[in-house]
Amino acid sequence: MTTLIETLLNGLLLGALYALFGLGLSISLGVMRMINIAHGDLIVVGAYITSVVVQATGVHALASLVLVVPVMFAIGWTLQRVLLNHVVGRSLFAPILVTFGLSIVVQNLLQEIFTADTRSLRDEYISQIGFDIGGVSVGLLPLLSAAVSVALFALTHVLIANTHYGRQARAVADDPSTARLVGVDDKNFFAIVTGFVLSAIAFAAVLYAIRTPFSPSAGPERLLYSFEAVVLGGLGNLWGTFFGGLIIGVAQLLGARVSSGLGPFFGHLVFLMMLLARPHGLFVRTVR
Amino acid sequence: MSDRTLAPEFVRDGGNFVRPIRALRLLNLVLPPAILANFIALPWYGDFVVQRLLVEVFTLFAIALAWNLLAGYGGMVAIGLHFFVGIGSYSLFAVSNVLHLNPWVALPIATACTAVVALISAWPMFRLSGAYFAVGTWVLAELARIAMLNIGWLGAGAGMPLDMISTFDRWSRNAYVYWSALAVGAGSLALAVVLLRSRLGLALVSVRDSEAAALASGVPVGRAKFALWVIAASITGTAGAVSYISTLQVTPDASFSLNWTAAAIFIVVLGGIGTVEGPIIGTFVYFVLREAFAGFGSWYFIGLGSLAIVTMIVAPGGAWSLISRIKKIDLFGIRRRMPAVAVQPDAPKAS
Amino acid sequence: MLRTEGLCARYSLLQALFDVSIAVAPGEIVALIGSNGAGKSTLFRSIVGTVCVEKHSVLLEDKAIGGASERWQLKRGIALVPEGRRLFPSLSVLENLLLAARNGRRGAWSVERLFEELPILGSIAARPATALSGGQQQLVAIGRALAANPSYVLCDEVSLGLSPLAVNEVYALLGKVKSAGAGIIIVEQNVSRALSESDRFYCLQKGRVVLEGRSAEADRASVAQAYFGV
Repeated sequence: MTTLIETLLNGLLLGALYALFGLGLSISLGVMRMINIAHGDLIVVGAYITSVVVQATGVHALASLVLVVPVMFAIGWTLQRVLLNHVVGRSLFAPILVTFGLSIVVQNLLQEIFTADTRSLRDEYISQIGFDIGGVSVGLLPLLSAAVSVALFALTHVLIANTHYGRQARAVADDPSTARLVGVDDKNFFAIVTGFVLSAIAFAAVLYAIRTPFSPSAGPERLLYSFEAVVLGGLGNLWGTFFGGLIIGVAQLLGARVSSGLGPFFGHLVFLMMLLARPHGLFVRTVR
Repeated sequence: MSDRTLAPEFVRDGGNFVRPIRALRLLNLVLPPAILANFIALPWYGDFVVQRLLVEVFTLFAIALAWNLLAGYGGMVAIGLHFFVGIGSYSLFAVSNVLHLNPWVALPIATACTAVVALISAWPMFRLSGAYFAVGTWVLAELARIAMLNIGWLGAGAGMPLDMISTFDRWSRNAYVYWSALAVGAGSLALAVVLLRSRLGLALVSVRDSEAAALASGVPVGRAKFALWVIAASITGTAGAVSYISTLQVTPDASFSLNWTAAAIFIVVLGGIGTVEGPIIGTFVYFVLREAFAGFGSWYFIGLGSLAIVTMIVAPGGAWSLISRIKKIDLFGIRRRMPAVAVQPDAPKAS
Repeated sequence: MLRTEGLCARYSLLQALFDVSIAVAPGEIVALIGSNGAGKSTLFRSIVGTVCVEKHSVLLEDKAIGGASERWQLKRGIALVPEGRRLFPSLSVLENLLLAARNGRRGAWSVERLFEELPILGSIAARPATALSGGQQQLVAIGRALAANPSYVLCDEVSLGLSPLAVNEVYALLGKVKSAGAGIIIVEQNVSRALSESDRFYCLQKGRVVLEGRSAEADRASVAQAYFGV
């Protein structure tokens, strides 16, 4: 019984990390109605940047965030201004196909620079510490990841509800053409949004890299988990994405208990089944 | 003389499309069969290397065509189309091995299996639309890939060989595979042309122009998309099956690999999405580039990806749109024309 | 003076406006009348930057500004109150105003001033913008345009769907905007109301200006003829 509770708990903690993967996707889908197929690959880029910083400076991966977050913000800002602004809102498939091409370019660039070998940021400190809560053992790292995830979701919530940028984000999500009428500067604003998205990805990337060995081709899987979290939670629903991530995490770990290779399979299966049962996501945003 | 849908030899259609003049039309009638005859005769004068390459060309062309039908005419971008490559090839291998059937007898059964799977998968997939549909199909493919990786009697990670193929001698095997690939390639092209000239085709084009208007006009949008999904799946499954007969071994990672869809996407984007001529050009360009640059490893893929990105931004209609700007040609007679209104000074004005 | 000169506008293959020349001066109200599809909204969209037109077809104080984006036109002082109000549902009334104020120009119409001029805003400030009556929405929509401190306000479909009381309130507000010195162009389905509230008028038919003049001197018969094209 305790092992079941342990699996559930660890599933929730893993799910919180998946939720963090999905946070960025949820924002760009909500504000710019654009799916970035390279989203997962950008998480991997963050992991590699972290690895480079750690190797160069010797600091712990978490400390490297000080550098990685601004770098990722800059990458996101530039990516949006240089490339993605040309395809936002243009046609149905332009953003999908452009970011699909981007995904391939990023994966192969990473492979060219870092080779196809898997890399790990496993440290000797955090990943080894665990707690025993009433007979159930939980690692410090999963707890930390979950805490960071909740914190970032809360920060995003606060930013959207209370700042000028948040108001612009909601306005653009509601009605892009009228938003332009009241003076919202699409090009610049979207660049800032994507910068923010990549900054969130930076956190996800570091936590992911400490936890799991990664390689240039690890991107697509991260994208699929992010996507599942977003869709399950209901499109345009920020906290929905969080709970969607939790579900995928729990499903994966429960599946892994059945058979070690079947974790992601169960995640996908649960996603499909939930899609059949509740096509608009579990937490339907009230229709205006 | 006023124009009607039955046009004389030379017709200027609103200044847009020029129908071939009589001599050219004669060429139109003679050339395709000549080319086709050439291709059919290949096993007798070409070597195995060329045949294998052409098998790849024809099967990938068919898959690209299928992806183009879905995306360019149905508005459904499916990143997970390779799902059906795997389903088709696994169906063929499983049916042939278990029932001890000649692989080419098993082929139509594999097509049917793929169609059935397409039917069933439409249920969850059609709950999604747009970008969500695109990634949703990818989830489906991943689901299948992991499933196959874990099913013991289908060979798990190592996959399955094609037992019944050993009954054929090398020349026959290569020739039959080649001819089936040719049939799949030419057949899917013919199917696409017929489809687009049919009522379903008209429905699809109207949906592409404006889905809301099509719905309002009573076009059965849902049914049209569903039919397209099943057709595209069947083409893909058959092409995949033939391709794996050629390689003699089917594995989960290869047959459910995203690379199939990636190549199809590249071909269609480069050639011209939403046209029938596009995939033809795209396939040609893809294989020329591959033969020339694949040796550069990752840089080849970086180049391909970059080319796709640039094409989508600069010339979203692909190579065919650039050609069309110079001269509009409707190679397969798919374009529909409105009967032009007679403009004569003495004719009564339309009310 | 904001004016258009020989403005032609098209939606891909369809030409919607042919050679339209209108003008509005600061402190005057100009009415655009015409049946549906005559091109009134298109004209607004062309001036404000949503529809791209030739540079010299829109002139602000004799400077050619046609074809610039909505943001630029707003910075130059041209604001549009769109048809159907189009307030942001995910934002409260106050947030709708704050958003426009932050993105617009500095000037007399601060958010505080708006609350003074429109006491009703005080009671609905925190409500989501869609939980309002039609009249209230229209007042907020005009307020949102004013928050950007424009010199010229284009108001599309002023009284559509509003109760008579609400229409009076809206025109009272527009009167205040006029006295503050802005130039206003209104699109108004109610022809008599349009003529009584405006200084001058233009009548559009199938994308062309077919009649114009001083509203006080407008001859009902010729207006009707211009409107219906018979």
